[in-house]
Amino acid sequence: MAPPATAVADRLASPDRPRDSRANIDIMAPTKGVQWPYFLALGAAVLGVLQAFIVLLYQTYVGLGVAGYQQPVFWGVYIVTFVFWIGIGHAGTLISAILFLFRAKWRNAVNRGAEALTVFAVITAALFPILHLGRIWKLYFLIPYPNQRELWVNFKSPLLWDVFAISTYASISIVFFYIGLIPDIAIARDRATGVKKVLYTILALGWQGTGPQWKAHSRSVLHLSGLATPLVLSVHSVVSWDFAMSIVPGWHATIFAPYFVAGAVFGGFAMVVNILIPVRRIFRLERYLTDYHFENMSRFILFTSTICGYAYAAEYFIAWYSGVEFEQSSFWLRAFGPYWISTWCMITFNVIFPQLLWIKKLRTNLPFLMGLCFFINLGMWFERYVIIITSLSREYISGSWGLYVISPVELSVLAGSFCWFSMWFLLFLKVFPVIAITEVKELEIHARDHGGAH
Amino acid sequence: MPTLVSVFDLPSHAAGAVRKLKDRGFDDLKTYSPAPFTDLELAEDPRPSKVRRFTLVGGLTGVVLGFAMQIWMSLEWPIKIAGKNFASIPPFWIVGFELTILLGGFFTFFGLLIVGGLYPRRLDEHYSSRFSAEEFGVVVTVEDRDVTEVEGLLRGESAKEVTLAR
Repeated sequence: MAPPATAVADRLASPDRPRDSRANIDIMAPTKGVQWPYFLALGAAVLGVLQAFIVLLYQTYVGLGVAGYQQPVFWGVYIVTFVFWIGIGHAGTLISAILFLFRAKWRNAVNRGAEALTVFAVITAALFPILHLGRIWKLYFLIPYPNQRELWVNFKSPLLWDVFAISTYASISIVFFYIGLIPDIAIARDRATGVKKVLYTILALGWQGTGPQWKAHSRSVLHLSGLATPLVLSVHSVVSWDFAMSIVPGWHATIFAPYFVAGAVFGGFAMVVNILIPVRRIFRLERYLTDYHFENMSRFILFTSTICGYAYAAEYFIAWYSGVEFEQSSFWLRAFGPYWISTWCMITFNVIFPQLLWIKKLRTNLPFLMGLCFFINLGMWFERYVIIITSLSREYISGSWGLYVISPVELSVLAGSFCWFSMWFLLFLKVFPVIAITEVKELEIHARDHGGAH
Repeated sequence: MPTLVSVFDLPSHAAGAVRKLKDRGFDDLKTYSPAPFTDLELAEDPRPSKVRRFTLVGGLTGVVLGFAMQIWMSLEWPIKIAGKNFASIPPFWIVGFELTILLGGFFTFFGLLIVGGLYPRRLDEHYSSRFSAEEFGVVVTVEDRDVTEVEGLLRGESAKEVTLAR
């Protein structure tokens, strides 16, 4: 008699057959069960988002003045934080796309977490230009839409380039993230029950790991990596041109694009480390996220920190060498003006502290890395603060100089942005595997098939 | 027609079985793999994936659309900026580039869905959660008279289980 129309292979009873692969069990474990510290963290994040939402309602009603927007500084913490979050996303794309093209196999264990970080960081960043508008209901003015006045946007403006760059980056990051997730969602679908099974079945799109599916999948990942590589380099370049295309002293510099990209990768890697260390510890993923991975990321941090150090030095040198009084004054004020603390924090946290990573033992010392990366993130936020605030507060005309002080509204929204980001990341942890299971299996099975070599 | 479902532990064994089956003319087959293995994919079908055509078409559409949109809109609403032409090409490279990437990426995604046959649907009768663990499946449909030969061939290539499902 023919077997019923269920999976025939499931009926093949073999006493020594493992019920499931270890990678599936280990990596899917965080998505199961109820851990109260998790819900505590999620609850705190949601509360943080709510308080920022209430503050933003107040700001929308009263006006941007409550966010400290006054002559001469009209780009404050919102733009600082926007650049910060856009930068954070860069490590994810670098790990997923650029390291994929270089065939750096160590990325396989860290790419999913980094890609998720990219998506959520870009979603967070994308909020800030909107909040910064004041009249947020006019948002659609940024987009070229057909209108009765036949009025179109100005394509020669770097701010409009930014709209296209950020929306493209967000879209491609989400597509890349989802394509990578499909085979892993299928793994979850095959083992889930109830509502989760329905959700995974829809999202897995009938994935079965057939030959044509894998071939199309590998090809898509390759092509998206090829597309995402110049994209990631372009995005922060375009963000840097928001500043560099102007004639504000301290902004009008050709070094800005590579300087911003290096800084973005630097800060992004620091954030990846800051997130993956607790994830590895809490969910016991030491088998997959090894010291080797953190050492490699430390090397990237050291390398990009050195580029940042060079860029800082080059900025000061060019300001002096140019002989332009306004540039010289602007950079003098950065180091010794009213915002000197931000500048020295930036230099100490971004250039001096990371030099400790030349010591091999420290590159794999996770508590040390956790602390270092926290300071790097702080330093990277200060970097943007220094660039934006010092230049705007002391431009050409001394009569319009002013002192910028962060307002409580801005602080509240800044805190809300971290909570918003954390909320999405925590939700992601409970629904999807934080490590790319199929990519880990690819390495493990390949090693088994070729006698441990790969 | 009879269908033989075989399970393998290693991709090289499954690929070897697929190659032998195809050499013997048994082309009605399907493989299931828990991870991507080029050897197995090429054994089943050596032709490159058609996804690349989607990426190319998407990228070209994006660059043409990007420039056309900007040139048309700049001429429709002329703003003189710094003495530049209304339709000044150098700054248009940026949005042109972004749209190349955007449409290239979207077309690649849709290419994956179309070429890979990805849409919410019932799974194959012979698909098993074992194939999303660490085992490999080769499912081949043969004539009645070939069952014994194909089973022997699969076992000869280290299939750890072979089952006949009609």
